[in-house]
Amino acid sequence: MADQQELEQAVKEGLMVANGPQATEATTALVEAGVDPKHILEKVMANAMFELGEKWKRGEVFLPEVVASAEVFKQCNAIVEPALLAAGTKEAGIRVIMFTVKGDLHDLGKNMVCAMMRTAGFEVTDLGKDTATQKAVDAIKEIQPHIVGMSALLTTTVGQQQVVIKALKKEGLRDSVHVMVGGAPVTQEWADEIKADGYAPSAPEAVNKAKELTGKV
Amino acid sequence: MTAEVGAGARTRLDGSTYLRPLPWKHAVEVLPPEAIVKLHDNTLAILEQVGVKMGSKAWLERMADSGARVDFAEERVWFPPGLVEEKIKMAPATFELAARDPALDLRIGSGNVYLSTDGCVPDVLDLATGERRKGTKRDLSEITRLADALPQISFHWQPVSATDTPDYVRPLHEIEAQLSSTSKHIQQMTVVDPWNARGMVEMLEVVAGGKEALRARPLMSNFQCCISPLSWEGEPLEAIDVLAQAGIPVGICSMPIACATAPATMAGLMSVMNAEILSGITALQIAYPGHPTWYIPYATSMDLNTGALNLGWGPEELTSEMAGAQIGRHYGIPTITGVFGSGAKTANWQAGVQNGMSAFGKVFSPADMVTAAGTLVFCNAYSMEELVLDAEIWDIAWTFAKGFDFDEETLAFDAIAEVGPANHFLGSQHTRDHMLDFWRSGIFDRDAWEDWEAKGKPDPVDNARRKMNEILNTHEPLPLEDDMLKELSKIVDAYQAERAEEDD
Repeated sequence: MADQQELEQAVKEGLMVANGPQATEATTALVEAGVDPKHILEKVMANAMFELGEKWKRGEVFLPEVVASAEVFKQCNAIVEPALLAAGTKEAGIRVIMFTVKGDLHDLGKNMVCAMMRTAGFEVTDLGKDTATQKAVDAIKEIQPHIVGMSALLTTTVGQQQVVIKALKKEGLRDSVHVMVGGAPVTQEWADEIKADGYAPSAPEAVNKAKELTGKV
Repeated sequence: MTAEVGAGARTRLDGSTYLRPLPWKHAVEVLPPEAIVKLHDNTLAILEQVGVKMGSKAWLERMADSGARVDFAEERVWFPPGLVEEKIKMAPATFELAARDPALDLRIGSGNVYLSTDGCVPDVLDLATGERRKGTKRDLSEITRLADALPQISFHWQPVSATDTPDYVRPLHEIEAQLSSTSKHIQQMTVVDPWNARGMVEMLEVVAGGKEALRARPLMSNFQCCISPLSWEGEPLEAIDVLAQAGIPVGICSMPIACATAPATMAGLMSVMNAEILSGITALQIAYPGHPTWYIPYATSMDLNTGALNLGWGPEELTSEMAGAQIGRHYGIPTITGVFGSGAKTANWQAGVQNGMSAFGKVFSPADMVTAAGTLVFCNAYSMEELVLDAEIWDIAWTFAKGFDFDEETLAFDAIAEVGPANHFLGSQHTRDHMLDFWRSGIFDRDAWEDWEAKGKPDPVDNARRKMNEILNTHEPLPLEDDMLKELSKIVDAYQAERAEEDD
């Protein structure tokens, strides 16, 4: 078996260049070799994603590459998580629920935000597109996220963001979550009007806003 | 009266509304013939082997009945190549889009290019403050009235969303606002579900004078858009049913984004676009044979850093739009392509350069209809000054592209002989007959320094604003009868009330 350092390097490289088989095989090998899963997650995987984020900020990598790496991160995480749970070292992360509002089937922007958020270490649950308000409310009750992010592309569906916020209020959930809104017709003025906690014009800005809201730097 | 007056004003002496469509003279083919063949073959392969999603059982059944392979559980259709080629030939090459004033009808496929305002824009740049704010029903009326007076604008989209109206019935408010603000053709792009489509038809029947009158002269058209890649929602298809049955022409639109909802190559992007449009036109012609439709290729790319759309400003986008018009010409199906749409935040140098280049590309690969004038911020904010400026840019491109006549009258031998050497042409009849054919600007700054100073040093945007104010202060669109206005308002109220409870 390759030594631990080589395997860690393979995980990092696999994440950085979105080589799924390389990253997952090396992650599996590390877990099977008994390496502390907390170390794998925090010192190896998260470090790689942080470095990728820095490269993105410098314009050295582009969004499609970040999205692909986030997908590989998800696969590696699925390998590490059972070990974390077994070892009892899984720390509560910052949970985010994302969805595209009811009546809107455009989920590209939302998917980008999910990818960037995962890259930044948030635990993202993606409810998908055309999400009924009740479905969102139920998921929020179950998962108890720190952040709820809603997207809408159409001028005719953007009003649903307000409907969801009203529903959260009615259910007594509004004060327990930070609500973020986004999408092409969404502006800061709209976010203010519907009393959302955060708005961002792009996926990377959404990550910054989420960090700001949750105090995660 | 047809004389035109005033520097660059190009309005008639009696102030009446008219159109200045661009006659086709030139077509620059950006795709070589072999590229068209490869694109077509690839499109047929996509439609046969990958297929498209269709979220309506009734439409899936029609597709199955006509010989397409259908998986009802997956809501997926695979089209045999022969079926696509047979059905797209049924789309008519020419048809009319009627206006409330018959003199303003659009003769699609006649060799004219018709320009429109932009559509479905969420924000406006406020005239008083210059700041961005949400569009309102009143903004929609005012922009439509301004465009009604600009001869370069031949038809309307819904330039801003009437965001001060409830979203579920907003399209009907938009129809109400526009019908009374213009006598030109309106292309209604925000009706994308059968419920609003029924409301639209009811309203149009009031203005047209009944079902048959509307069928004979559809005062509005509509289009429906595929969600890229390769997915048709159920509601737009069901909206087509309502509209087509009332005789309303329906275009088929595709808006793929390279790197995001389409491949990262121009050829792949155009393949997805062509497959989406041909799937829509094939389905429409299966359901409603011979129904007027048009090819709407809006392919763009993604900004690799932010994920935002690259609209109206990139060389690839210009090429794909010119190619889209060429593909439409190849199929003998009328087209719409886009023009303008600068990312600039004000009507500034960037807007002028981007929109100028965009216009000059588009007039040399003409589509039957071209959209859309008056937006900034990547089509996210409407500016009334920009509408006047875009009309002016179009006018320059128009004058350039239409070329010049070389006949006995314009060669002017008699006038030259009459004046002779060492004389001048200033007062001659020939000069007075033709002098207004020269393009003149009311917007460009051509003043001497002293004159410019005396006028308060205006820049072109100030000139555009002055022209805009003149129009807004004086232009009265062809009025609608009071009874009709009341009836339209009643229909909107009834629809709004019907769903008001559900909305609460």
